[in-house]
Amino acid sequence: MTEKKILFVDLGEFGGLLGKHGPGAIDAMWQDHGLCLLRTILHEAGIQTDIASTRLCKDWNEFWPNLFGYDMIIMNVRSYRFGPAKMIARAFKDMNPNGIVLVGGMHASVAPEEMEAVEEFDHICKGPGEKAIVDLVKNHGDFPKMFDGPESARMEDWPRMDRMLWPKPLPPSPQAPTYPLEASCGWGPAPVATTITSRVCPFSCSFCNEISYIKPMERRSVESVIDEFNWLDAEYGPLGSTVMHDSLFFSQPQWLKEFIEKYPRRARRPWPYWAAARADLVRKWPDLFEALVRETNWTTVSIGFESGSDKVLDVLNKECTAEDNAFAIDLLNDIGDDLEAKGKQRPRFWANIMFAVPGESREDAFRTMKMWRRMKDPIPTLAYYAPYAGSALGYQLMAEGKSLMEKDDHQRYAGQPKVKGVDYRFYDDLLRGRYEREIAETPFP
Amino acid sequence: MKLKSHHIYLFTLKNGKKKLGHGDNPEHALKILSYRLTPEEMAEITTDPPEIIRQPDLQKHVKDLG
Repeated sequence: MTEKKILFVDLGEFGGLLGKHGPGAIDAMWQDHGLCLLRTILHEAGIQTDIASTRLCKDWNEFWPNLFGYDMIIMNVRSYRFGPAKMIARAFKDMNPNGIVLVGGMHASVAPEEMEAVEEFDHICKGPGEKAIVDLVKNHGDFPKMFDGPESARMEDWPRMDRMLWPKPLPPSPQAPTYPLEASCGWGPAPVATTITSRVCPFSCSFCNEISYIKPMERRSVESVIDEFNWLDAEYGPLGSTVMHDSLFFSQPQWLKEFIEKYPRRARRPWPYWAAARADLVRKWPDLFEALVRETNWTTVSIGFESGSDKVLDVLNKECTAEDNAFAIDLLNDIGDDLEAKGKQRPRFWANIMFAVPGESREDAFRTMKMWRRMKDPIPTLAYYAPYAGSALGYQLMAEGKSLMEKDDHQRYAGQPKVKGVDYRFYDDLLRGRYEREIAETPFP
Repeated sequence: MKLKSHHIYLFTLKNGKKKLGHGDNPEHALKILSYRLTPEEMAEITTDPPEIIRQPDLQKHVKDLG
């Protein structure tokens, strides 16, 4: 029997790995951990695969020839890549009528009916793919069209990713000279090593709800995380900074205390890093937060502040208050002032801020602007609320006929209407600076 | 300080459909719903005791929402 020719397709913005993306378009250049993990598992099982990336092409005409001559393609379909994934599956079947299309990813979990309706998707893995991928590729005929991927109990059960299996960026992409490490997107110096120490935020924000779809897994050990950075530094470095892409890094105090103890000593260098927290947990564990910032070089603190209004935070089921947000802002500002006075780098917020939430009044939005301005030197990331399939509020707004989002387009950034009845012109004007007096007069918190 | 105390509720509408809400208790969930719904939409919610659902079961109820 001849070996199957298998192609992984990396989905993303055209030109994203050619340096032809817009400024700040970090989604266009980030590498895909899910894809790399699955390719690593297959290669370790002796199943070779190739990779093609839309991000290494300037348009569809340049991409299509990549699909010729393969027996099977595999795609990790996130909601915002559902449209391109469908196009690719159709084109692949046209070129290779006996070819098999295997798909998985978050959209299979949050919108299985949409995935199942795509005739060209032969097999859809709902849930994690790491334990199913080898059998699926070898014996796809034994699997139904839609099936549940078995869960892994521990992240330590995953192999260490072979990052050379990521698509290779080409000049003038800033990723080209750092490959297989990544370029900086403004969080810390390049080359950047990205990793995940834990999976799934346990909270139930109404715009997200990832806990509905991904079961919690045992977190990686502190040593394992540090040793991977050390290995990447020795093999491909020197590293400039790291990113811990966990949905909620600042959780599990015992783990964090161990990280404070070991990272400065065990790491080849205490690289500055990006990681995410919640404002209410910062308020609950302020000493732990401060120790992490000061002692482990946590220089970019990502927090989903979302809003400066308690009412809007309630609609989002954030289970945080404006007081929590103010506390976290003031604490990091104070730490930053002290570090700067000592000639050290000020830690910054990667501040997730959301406008145009259903039910939000103009005064609520002014409070959010006031909250944003209380931060010293933040990196803001602005969104207009987007009713995603899979989230509680997204499902509810769709059922009420209020969603304006196309099924094939799930991007969240500001500047595009997403919900009926929201005055987007007001928000565009707000972000253009047309309400300075009102913002100044509005209290926060 | 409370952390993660909210329940997810399914309220029944007069047309038989369901509406998702969240809060400490049904009254709190209705208050939060009132922030984004019109008085006419709020009036469609019956006074029947809402069902509490588990987060992982959310998708089972999507077809009933209105």
